[in-house]
Amino acid sequence: MRSIWAVAVNTVKQALRMKVAFIFLLLLVLLLPVMAFSSTGDNTLKGRLQTFVSYGLSLTSLLLCLLTIIVSIHTVTSDIEHRQIYTVITKPIRRFEFLLGKLLGTVLLSTGLLVLFLVLIYAVAAYMPRFYSATEADLIEVKNEFLTARKALTPPEPDVSKEVADALKKLISGGNIDQVYGGMSPKEITAQISNTTKLAKRSADVGQQLLWEFYNVKPRDPNGSIFVKFKLEVSVTPPDSEVYSQWGIGDYRPYKYGTQSKGDGEFYPVQRKDPVRKFREIEVPADAVAEDGYLAVAFYNPPLNTTSVIFPLEDGLEVLYKADSFTANFIRAGLLILSRLFFLACLGILTSTFLSFPVAILFCLVIFFTASVSGFVIESFDFLSENMAVVYSYTFKWLIRLLPQFDKFNPSTYLVPAELLSWSVVARVALVMVCVKSLLLLVFALIIFSFREIARITV
Amino acid sequence: MEYAVETFSLTKIFSDWWGRAKVYAVDDLNLQIQYNEVFGLLGPNGSGKTTTLKMLLGLLHPTKGKSLCLGGDATDTKISARIGFLPEESYLYKYLTARETLDFYGRLFRLDRRVRKMRIDALLDMVGLKAVANRPVGTFSKGMARRIGLAQALINDPDLLILDEPTTGLDPIGTRQIKDLILKLAKRGKTVLLCSHLLADVEDVCDRIAILYGGKIQAKGQVAELLQQTHKRQFTTGDISDSAVERIKRIVQEENAECVVTSPMHKLETFFIETVVAAQRQDRRTSGAVSTTKIGDFLAAETISENVLDRLVSAPVSAETPAQPPPTDKAVSTESAEPKPDERVLSKLTEPAVPTMPVADRKIHTQPVETDAPAAKDHVRSDILDELAGRSKPKTKDPNRTDENQAGGSGDA
Repeated sequence: MRSIWAVAVNTVKQALRMKVAFIFLLLLVLLLPVMAFSSTGDNTLKGRLQTFVSYGLSLTSLLLCLLTIIVSIHTVTSDIEHRQIYTVITKPIRRFEFLLGKLLGTVLLSTGLLVLFLVLIYAVAAYMPRFYSATEADLIEVKNEFLTARKALTPPEPDVSKEVADALKKLISGGNIDQVYGGMSPKEITAQISNTTKLAKRSADVGQQLLWEFYNVKPRDPNGSIFVKFKLEVSVTPPDSEVYSQWGIGDYRPYKYGTQSKGDGEFYPVQRKDPVRKFREIEVPADAVAEDGYLAVAFYNPPLNTTSVIFPLEDGLEVLYKADSFTANFIRAGLLILSRLFFLACLGILTSTFLSFPVAILFCLVIFFTASVSGFVIESFDFLSENMAVVYSYTFKWLIRLLPQFDKFNPSTYLVPAELLSWSVVARVALVMVCVKSLLLLVFALIIFSFREIARITV
Repeated sequence: MEYAVETFSLTKIFSDWWGRAKVYAVDDLNLQIQYNEVFGLLGPNGSGKTTTLKMLLGLLHPTKGKSLCLGGDATDTKISARIGFLPEESYLYKYLTARETLDFYGRLFRLDRRVRKMRIDALLDMVGLKAVANRPVGTFSKGMARRIGLAQALINDPDLLILDEPTTGLDPIGTRQIKDLILKLAKRGKTVLLCSHLLADVEDVCDRIAILYGGKIQAKGQVAELLQQTHKRQFTTGDISDSAVERIKRIVQEENAECVVTSPMHKLETFFIETVVAAQRQDRRTSGAVSTTKIGDFLAAETISENVLDRLVSAPVSAETPAQPPPTDKAVSTESAEPKPDERVLSKLTEPAVPTMPVADRKIHTQPVETDAPAAKDHVRSDILDELAGRSKPKTKDPNRTDENQAGGSGDA
C-alpha cells in the first residue's frame, strides 16, 4: 500500500510539474469567469444561471475528461518510453501495485481539480443574482425553477394494446392497409397506430376535458409548492399563437366519487392564456396533494379557443415538486462526472499498457467521443441489427454495450431543468460505469501489464 | 542458496514479426556467481550483457532457461528488496529534485521516514551532490545523473548490487570512488555483478570475470589467473644504482631470458586524482558534483566487527567455542534453558554462510537503538561479539549516528 501511494504521489507531481495539468487549470480558470459574464441565456436571471451552470459543467467535464485521458496514458507510457520504469519495477513493488499507483494518482488529480472547479461554478452561481440587479420575481423564479431539485412525474401511459389490435384488424379486414401504410413493416405500422391512439387520448377538442391522476406525489415541504409543467400543441395555430386553458389541480376525488369519499387535499382552479409550443409552469400550494399522495390534474379546453389542444407524448405534461436541495443535486452531478473520469482513467491505463502514447491517446479519444454520442451510436447500430441480426447481436452489440453512455447521464440535463438526480441514478451509474466497466478494464490492464516484457528489445 | 546469481541455460531470442528467430541475444548461458564475489560480465557492444541483466531482473522474459537471484525470482518483492540495480543509463524522473528522487525510491523500499532521511543525507554526501540536492534532476549533467543513479541503487543497502556500466559518464575521481565502493561492499560480504566494457575498471575490482560474445561465454575465471603471464616475471625495486641493475641483468642473461629495465610510470588515474585533490585543497569552486572520497556511513560498516565475523565464519564452530572469553558466561545464564547459547549463536552466524552475514551483523549493532526490542538473544550476540572484538563499545568516531544508520539496515532485513 505504501508503494502504491509513493507511485501515486509521484504521478501527481509529474502531471503538475510537467505542466500537463497546469494548462487545463489555466484554461478553466480563464474560461469560467468569462462564461459567467458572457452567458445570457434568454436574458432572465434563470436563463443566465442555466446557461452558465450547463456550459460550465460541460466545459469542466470535457476538459477534465481530456486531462484524465492524457495524464493516465502519459504517466505510464512515459515511464516505459524513458525507461524510468527499469529502476522502479525492480524495486520491491509488484506490477499491479505500480499500475494501481498510477491509477490512484490520476484519479486523485482529476478529483482534486473536479472539486476545485465545482466549488468555483457553485460559488459563481450563488453570487450571480447579486451581480445583476435581479427583481423579486426573478429571484422567486430562480428559487422555484433553478435552485432546487425537483422530482418530475409524467402521467402513466395508457394501455392501448387493445385499441391498436382492433384498429389493425379493421384495417386488414378493410383490405386497404397497403394504401394507408404502403411499404412499412408490420412492426412500424403497429408503432404508428399505437402512437396515434395515445396522442388521441392526450388531445382535447373545444369543450372537452382531460384528466390525469397521480398516486405517489411526495413533496419534501408540505408548505411549499408543486408545479405543473406543460407544453401545448394545437391543430390550428390561433392568430396570436396563444390558447386559453382552464385547469383544476388538486384532490379531484370528491368531485369524481361524491363528497363522502376520502378527500383531504385542496382543489385549485386555474385559468390561463399561454403561448403554444412553449414550456410553461403552473404553481399551486403543495396542500393540493392528498395525504396519501394523490394528485389530479384536470384540463378543460374552453370554448374561447377555436382549436383542439394536444399534449405531446414525450414532454407534454409533468408534475414537479421539490424533492431535494440544489446543493445536493449539484454534488450528485459532480459524482456523475467523477464516475466518467474514473472510467477514462482506467481506459487510459489499460491502453497505455500495450500501446504507445499517440496511439493510446487516439484510441481513448475515439472511445470518449463515441461514448459522448452513445445514444446515436446505439440507435444506428440497432437499425443495422434488422439486416444482420445474428452477426450483430453476437459481436458489435456486446462491444457497444460495454461503451459507457456519457450522454445519457449528462449532469446538465438534470441541473438545467432543476430535475432531481436521485441517489439511485447515481448509484446505478457508479455501479455500471465504475464497478463493472472500469474494473473490467482494470483487470485486463493488470493482466497485460503483469505478463508483458517491460524492457524494450535492444540488441 | 548456493549462488547469489545462477542461470540455467538462459536464452533470449529476439524474433521478428512473423515469429522467426532473428537474433540470439543470449545463448544458453550458464553463470554461477558466488556470494561475496565481485563478478564482471565483459563483452563488446551487443554481446548480450544488458539483456542478461534484464532477464535476471525480470524486465525481459527468457525464451528458454531460467535465472535465480539470491536464491529466488528477482520479481519476488522479498528478493528485490535486497537487490540494488543501476541501469546502463540513469533513467530518472527529470522533474524530481535529487532529494525527492532518492525519497521516492526509499518509499518503494518501505523505509520509514527517519531511516530514509538519514540514508538520503549520507548518500548525497557520498556522491557529492549535497549542494544541489534541491535542484531538479533534469538539470543535471550526465555524470551527476549517474551519481544519483548510483545512490538510488544503494538506498536499500543491497545484498546484491547489479551495475550496468557503472562508470560511464563519470570523471576519473567518480570512477575511482565507485571502484572503492565496490571493493568496500565486497569486503562487507555483498555480491556485486558488474557489466562493463571498460576493462581497466573491471580489472581493478573484479574477482572473477566472464567474457561474452554473441550471447555465449567465451572465457571465464579468476581475473588473476586469466591475466597472469606464467612465462614472465616482473619485480619492482626501490631506487637502486645502475651497477646493481647491470648485475641483475647479468643474472637474468645467465638464465637465458630477456630483460627490460624501465622506470615505472604513474597510472594516469593516480596522477589525475592527485592533481584534482591538490586543486580542491586550494578551494577552487566547481559547478558540478563535488568529488568526495566518502562512503555512506550505513554502507561502510565497522571493519572491526567484520574481521571478527570473518574469523567466526571461517573457523569451525567446535574449535571456536572453548576459546570464548569468560564474560560470555553471564550471557549464558540469561538463557538457562539452552545449554550452549554461544555455540548456538555461532552456528547461527556461520550456518547461512556469507550471504546472510551482513544481516546478522546489522542486527547486532541495531540493538542499542532499538530500545523497545525485547529479544534477549541479540543481547547475547552483541556481548559475545564485543568481547571477541576486544572492546566494550564500537570504535567509531560517532557511534550514535552509525548505529542509527544500522537501525535502518535492519528495517528492511
